[in-house]
Amino acid sequence: MIDANILFYPFALLAAVSAVAILVVRNVFYGALWLLTCLLSVAAIYVLAYAEFVAVTQILIYAGGIAVVILFGVMLTTRVAGVPLVVQHGNLFDAIVVGFTLFVLLLTLFSQHDFSTVAPAAAVKALPPAEAIGMATLTDFLLPFETAGILLLVALVGATVIAASLKSKRS
Amino acid sequence: MPEPASLYNPATLQTFALLTLLLPLVSFAVGALVSERYSWVVTLCAPFLVLLSLATAIYTASVQWGHGNLLVAMPWFTVSDYTFSAGFMLNATSVCMTVIVAFISFLVHVYSTGYMAGDPATKRYFTMLGFFTFAMQGIVLADNLLSIFVFWELVGFASCMLIGHWKENPQAVAAAKKAFLLNRVGDAGFLVGLMLIWSHTGTFALGDLAQAIAQLPGAASWQTAAALCIFCGIAGKSAQFPLFTWLPDAMEGPTPVSALIHAATMVAAGIFLLARVSFVFTPAALDVVALTGIVTAVVAALAALSQHDIKKILAYSTISQLGLMVTAAGTGAFNVAMLHLVTHAFFKACLFLSAGSVIHAVHQGQHQGHRKFDVQDMRNLGGLKTKLPFTYITFMLSGCALAGVPFFSGFLSKEAIFSALLHWADNGWRWLVVVLAFGVSFLTVLYTYRLIRGIFAGTETATAGLNITEPPVIMRAPVALLAGASLWFMFSINPFSCSGWFLQFPELPAHHITLTIFSTAWVILAVVAARFIFRERNPFQSELLRNTFYLDLYYQKYVTDSVVAVAGFTSRFDRKWIDGFLHATAYAQITVAHLTGWFDRAIIDGMVNGAAALARTTGRFTQSFQGGKIQLYIFWAALAIIIFLIWTLV
Amino acid sequence: MLPVHHLLILGALLFCTGLVITIIKRNAIMVLLGLELMLNAANINLVAFNQYKPGVPEGQMFALFVIVVAVSEVAVGLAIVLRVYRYFETAVPDEIKELKD
Repeated sequence: MIDANILFYPFALLAAVSAVAILVVRNVFYGALWLLTCLLSVAAIYVLAYAEFVAVTQILIYAGGIAVVILFGVMLTTRVAGVPLVVQHGNLFDAIVVGFTLFVLLLTLFSQHDFSTVAPAAAVKALPPAEAIGMATLTDFLLPFETAGILLLVALVGATVIAASLKSKRS
Repeated sequence: MPEPASLYNPATLQTFALLTLLLPLVSFAVGALVSERYSWVVTLCAPFLVLLSLATAIYTASVQWGHGNLLVAMPWFTVSDYTFSAGFMLNATSVCMTVIVAFISFLVHVYSTGYMAGDPATKRYFTMLGFFTFAMQGIVLADNLLSIFVFWELVGFASCMLIGHWKENPQAVAAAKKAFLLNRVGDAGFLVGLMLIWSHTGTFALGDLAQAIAQLPGAASWQTAAALCIFCGIAGKSAQFPLFTWLPDAMEGPTPVSALIHAATMVAAGIFLLARVSFVFTPAALDVVALTGIVTAVVAALAALSQHDIKKILAYSTISQLGLMVTAAGTGAFNVAMLHLVTHAFFKACLFLSAGSVIHAVHQGQHQGHRKFDVQDMRNLGGLKTKLPFTYITFMLSGCALAGVPFFSGFLSKEAIFSALLHWADNGWRWLVVVLAFGVSFLTVLYTYRLIRGIFAGTETATAGLNITEPPVIMRAPVALLAGASLWFMFSINPFSCSGWFLQFPELPAHHITLTIFSTAWVILAVVAARFIFRERNPFQSELLRNTFYLDLYYQKYVTDSVVAVAGFTSRFDRKWIDGFLHATAYAQITVAHLTGWFDRAIIDGMVNGAAALARTTGRFTQSFQGGKIQLYIFWAALAIIIFLIWTLV
Repeated sequence: MLPVHHLLILGALLFCTGLVITIIKRNAIMVLLGLELMLNAANINLVAFNQYKPGVPEGQMFALFVIVVAVSEVAVGLAIVLRVYRYFETAVPDEIKELKD
């Protein structure tokens, strides 16, 4: 049979393409949509990497939650008067230099390491990942779990407070 | 034998010699410092100071006489490791000359107070007379060639100033310039001679020089060259051929000046120098000297025959007599030349001063009679015997001395010269010199007779009707003194023998009676011939002779003009090329300056401005970190992290 | 098991792209999008290395918590963006310079 890993490459390509697309498009709405595409393809990669729970969480929260919220934000902040706002690009040279340098640096660092020293595990796992994660959450990772809860609470309260309706600059 | 110590004291002698030298300089200083309003003070002081100088000179001479050489020297200046000294050399020759110079200078001073009365520039005149006397004494007293050269130049300068005394007269100025230039030409040779002597013997002091040359094995060629070069200077100063043309022109100066400088002293300085450095002269050089002398004597005597100006006749006569002196020196008999120099000084000065009296008297007559003619032209004079009897007598006395009539001093010195010549003549061309010398003495009688006859004999022409009287006593007294000195007893008891207290002839055989008789007869013959020749017209009227064979014209055409042309050429060259070169360098400099300016402005200021701009950009750049632009903050943070990563991991 | 190198390269690419987006886009929302991309890149790394330990979910736990943090960050960030947008009436970050020195 064909190796399932071969599915990785189209999704990886899709993720890369959509990331670059966000870079290129001048429309915020389109950018948000491309982000959605990227998130979904990353979720597919997670599945192929035996991280099903993370993949689902990615789809639910990232794609379903965050992307939607961003779309709401786009709608609220763009004065759509028939013509969508065109986003300008600034600091192009600086950004490309930094990005390119970082990319090359990372590639260099990766090429210096041989990650095949660790014996790859067989496809058989002890427990289904969901169960493992659930177990780990409430045992090994209890503190981070609770802290995350508090964090979410704080974020919720904070967002509400900040976004409450207040006067604009003019009035 | 040493004298009693109380009388012969070198220190005292030194002091007195110094006084003799410096008193005329004091007269010069008085004249220079006193203002124009008090010029009568100078006229009073100058003769007095020179009289004092005369007194000290007489004292020095009387004490030093017969004592051989006294050399006094003190250090003057040092060049590298040789010290030049300046000092006095007192021997018979020099103390005799100091007395003569002081005496004649004093008499001329006294005479000038009368002659130059009314002249607007008497202060300048007496000042320069004093300076001249000082310089002349300097030549006589100096003990080394360098000092002699310095005083030589000073004497030339004083002579130039005095010739050009009446500086409104362009001819006088031209004559002064000519005198100076011709002297300088001779002095150039003198300087070369000095250099030759210095390089071969290393000393200038006369005493050391005499010893150094006496120790030489034989006559070296450098010695002849040095001697001839020094003779160049002598030829310039003593008016020998071909450098004598300045002397007739120098008659433009006042007559007392002519008497002092151009008859008695300055022109005699050359003969004096010949005697002083006689040890340098090799036989070859002496032959040249003798030749030059006799040529000069002949040319000048011929020229004197055709002149009309009485002062010019006397000037050419001086040149001729100097030529005889130089000839005598050329035979090796230097003391004979000195004897003739001394006698010539007295009678020629007397002649000049008497001529000055004539000129002065006729001038006064001219002024009173409101007539205008050239006083010095002999054709205007004549028949003044009755109006100027005293002057006539003095003229006759000194004229006889000049002509060499027995019982006069001139006869004695001419005797000595002929004796020396005869002793010296031993081959062909030397006999020719002797014959020419006798010929010159014949011509001397001729022109002297012509001169006296022209002024005093015959009938008056232009001066008829004028009131001409003898000049005042103050002018007649010096003339009388000098006329007295022209008589024989000044120099020898025996009127026919030249050996006397002045001149001893130890090296010559006993005086020849035949020579005496011959020369006496020769003179009488000449007087008779003169009476016959000059009875009516002067047969020697010749433009060729009057212009001394156009020597001056040749000089003007070939020497002066070519020198002036060269000077013009070099001046143009200088202006065009050298100044042009300088201008070019100036332009180059300006261009470089412009370039430097541009460089400074563009590059250096540019760099400074650039540094400022860089600072501004850097400031703006670093300011941009705080620009409030979030994305730039992100960018810089990312860049910093990347750099950190590269630094630590790669 | 997916090849780790490739996953790493993908992660690097996403991260760099996210960084560039953050810097060049003159719109606050797009800056947030870039941030999300960077976080996702980190997640990919975590999951990639988690393949070496199949029974131990540490990597995936970490990834989950990253997602949680991302959520809260987006919420608060959007709130701020909305607030700033209403006040300054512009979504361009460069024009909000009142913190400028």
